[in-house]
Amino acid sequence: MSWVWIVLAPLLGGLLYGGERVLRARMQRRMGPPLLQPFYDMFKLMDKRTLIVHAAHALLGAAHFFLLWLTVAALFLGWNLLYIIFLHLFATMTLVWAGYSVKSPYSHVGSNRELLALVAYEPVLILVAVGFYLGTGSFEITAILRDQSLLLQMPLLFVALLMIIPVKVKKSPFDVVEAHQEIVGGVEVEYSGLFYEFLYMARFMEYLFVYSFVYLFGGGSHFLGASLAVGAFFVVNLVDNATARVRPAEMVGILYKIALPLALINIIGMLL
Amino acid sequence: MKFLRFFRKKSPWVLHYNAGSCNGCDIEILAALGPRFDLERFGVINTGNPKQSDIFLVTGPVTYRSRERIVELYSQIPEPKVVVAVGSCTATGGVFRGMYNVEDGIDRYIPVDVYVPGCAASPQLIIDALVKGREILEQKSREIEKPLRLFGAIETVGHKLSRLNMAKRVNDDKD
Repeated sequence: MSWVWIVLAPLLGGLLYGGERVLRARMQRRMGPPLLQPFYDMFKLMDKRTLIVHAAHALLGAAHFFLLWLTVAALFLGWNLLYIIFLHLFATMTLVWAGYSVKSPYSHVGSNRELLALVAYEPVLILVAVGFYLGTGSFEITAILRDQSLLLQMPLLFVALLMIIPVKVKKSPFDVVEAHQEIVGGVEVEYSGLFYEFLYMARFMEYLFVYSFVYLFGGGSHFLGASLAVGAFFVVNLVDNATARVRPAEMVGILYKIALPLALINIIGMLL
Repeated sequence: MKFLRFFRKKSPWVLHYNAGSCNGCDIEILAALGPRFDLERFGVINTGNPKQSDIFLVTGPVTYRSRERIVELYSQIPEPKVVVAVGSCTATGGVFRGMYNVEDGIDRYIPVDVYVPGCAASPQLIIDALVKGREILEQKSREIEKPLRLFGAIETVGHKLSRLNMAKRVNDDKD
């Protein structure tokens, strides 16, 4: 059964992204694009002439997408949580290498910021996994989903996770990685046509990845998990519409001064 | 492919370039992208990156400084592509026509598909032009489209390549 979901993951992510664009338009009191807009974009990008800088750059972009798909597949199959986090790290690193492999300064700045964001959110992500281990005695997702909900035991970790979601899905206030008007999309600046499509779909996979993490807080109760994920989706979009972009250093500062201590306090509380 | 061709008009991504405009038309373009006129309902995204865009929105009479950039940006947009000249200045030079530091309109440098009149062009007209532009986008083939004249760095490279018989210059037959 989970194999069907894994194959359908890009479709699922596309619907999620399309729904998000509609929701954001409604929050700004405009009509917004149709729900299937991401798929229209994908088909159009397939039809464009593709300009490739060099083969490694294009292939690393494709590898980024397929590794993220593997990460999401591992999540759906219920593998080890730490393994999934490091697989995701590997997927991000391919994008960073791709960014450094071309001459465009925007691409380099994008890669630098991608690394900076990685440094900022990765500790929190790992501490969330550690929290699950302390709560259930296992890193296996199947074990976490069999246990009861851990939300009451790790509320501060949940808040910390909510704070790093905007970094991962590139939303205000933490969207310096992409920063569409300043560095023209960062690492994706030199991609076009078919290979840009891989990065475009990789974004769907990031959505599935982070919201699945939120879903884990529901534990055995699928209803609680789903409502937490939907709630996080709304909160992240509301914050995205209400705030402006912060500077890269401020992003790292905010996450280290607020999110990381919250996560650490929660871990210490669980240990005592 | 016939099936994919249909989706070209569903998501025309826009690159906006200001070739020495007075910012009147730029503000109208931003108004058309904003919540009131909401171009995103046609799937339009303002990308700011030539490699990922389909429609090239140019405003302003082409000043001498911006000629090189226009030709370069146009060459970087992958086919199929459509050029929309927004405002009187971009079409004919407008009030700046005949001045010492401007070219009269962009069609001396790149082929234009849709002209939008008006000083400044109203958001309704810009929306009409984009709707027309995406129809043209659907008709176009993926043949390489060249600028009418080369300029700046591109010209230097093109000149060298053509001397080595590695490329044919765009305006060889006209010179």
